[in-house]
Amino acid sequence: MIFREVEDRDLIAQARRDNVEAFNLLVSRWEKRIFNYLLRLVKNREDAQDLAQDVFVKAHQNLRKLEDPSRFAPWLYRIAHNEAYSMLRKNRPETDLDDAQQEPWLEPGPTRRMLPIEVSLAVERALKRLSKEQREAVILKVYQGFKFEEMSQILGCPVSTVKSRLYTALDLLKDTLTSVEMRGKE
Amino acid sequence: MTCSPFDLKDYLFGELNAEEKGAVERHLSSCAVCQDEVAALDATRSAILCMREEEPPRRIAFVSDKVFEPRWWQKLFSSGPQLGFASAAMLALAIIFHAAYVPAAAPALPAAQLDQAAIQAEVSKRVAVAVEKAAVEIEARQAEKLMQVVNARLAQSDRRYEMDLRTVADVLERMNKRTANVRRTAFEGGADLQ
Repeated sequence: MIFREVEDRDLIAQARRDNVEAFNLLVSRWEKRIFNYLLRLVKNREDAQDLAQDVFVKAHQNLRKLEDPSRFAPWLYRIAHNEAYSMLRKNRPETDLDDAQQEPWLEPGPTRRMLPIEVSLAVERALKRLSKEQREAVILKVYQGFKFEEMSQILGCPVSTVKSRLYTALDLLKDTLTSVEMRGKE
Repeated sequence: MTCSPFDLKDYLFGELNAEEKGAVERHLSSCAVCQDEVAALDATRSAILCMREEEPPRRIAFVSDKVFEPRWWQKLFSSGPQLGFASAAMLALAIIFHAAYVPAAAPALPAAQLDQAAIQAEVSKRVAVAVEKAAVEIEARQAEKLMQVVNARLAQSDRRYEMDLRTVADVLERMNKRTANVRRTAFEGGADLQ
């Protein structure tokens, strides 16, 4: 991780001197992570792709405003967060509810060993049951590995709020994942 | 709600100082309920980490903007095969130039001059063919090598992913069994009281 940070800092310095190849390399390093982060928020591949493109265009335009290159990651995710929420507000301004939240809870039934792919699908389904704020907190902390202070910068809210969202989400996910079953698939 | 002296999620995410962490660990050594809670939280975290990253439908198209395209000499110096080809072409030109403009030691007969011109033309043609062939071979070898490395990495990544998911599935299965046992015990205890 330290090695990667040093390299990113060098690339940022070169990109600031209009070295296009340096910025292209930064893009190639971060595009998959940014795409997946946006995908978990907007839940549409084409939208996530378009947003990711916009994120990197804005990052290139504002790279000189980044005061501390070591904060590149939270800075980039902050742009991504803002872009995603702009789109979500335009597309669905009022409700936070996802379609998956309308599904009834599955009643516990006969359990059997879950296949690995089923675990992965169960996690994705469980994430969709969360509010977008909770889902985002889980993705940034658990999946992307940001510190709480960095998440506070990305999300524009206090650390206490970030923790509250994350811990509530974890309790919901834990309950969902330990009681999920696959009926009738023995 | 658990009986732990500090929030178990703070413990899981390393938010406690050394003293607080020690207090939690001492509590965990004697409390099965809190141990189960930490195990369940840890399994949940592991399950989240096992989500596979999706590939973007297309690469981010940044270099398509002409303003940001590298200059021709930047493109040339960043490509090995092209640079090799350019070097070979320059060498060929130097040879031809030298052959064409080196002064003759003695006046040459017209027939000899014709022969020399034919030889030079043949040499230029052969050099061009050889250089192009060499550039194509180099590019093909590099592409093959790259594919081998990529395939090996993909296979390794798939194997690791599969192992991680099996570990998580095992932990969740154990948690399910414990939950079922607790429910059964609670139900039987309630029936006895009636």
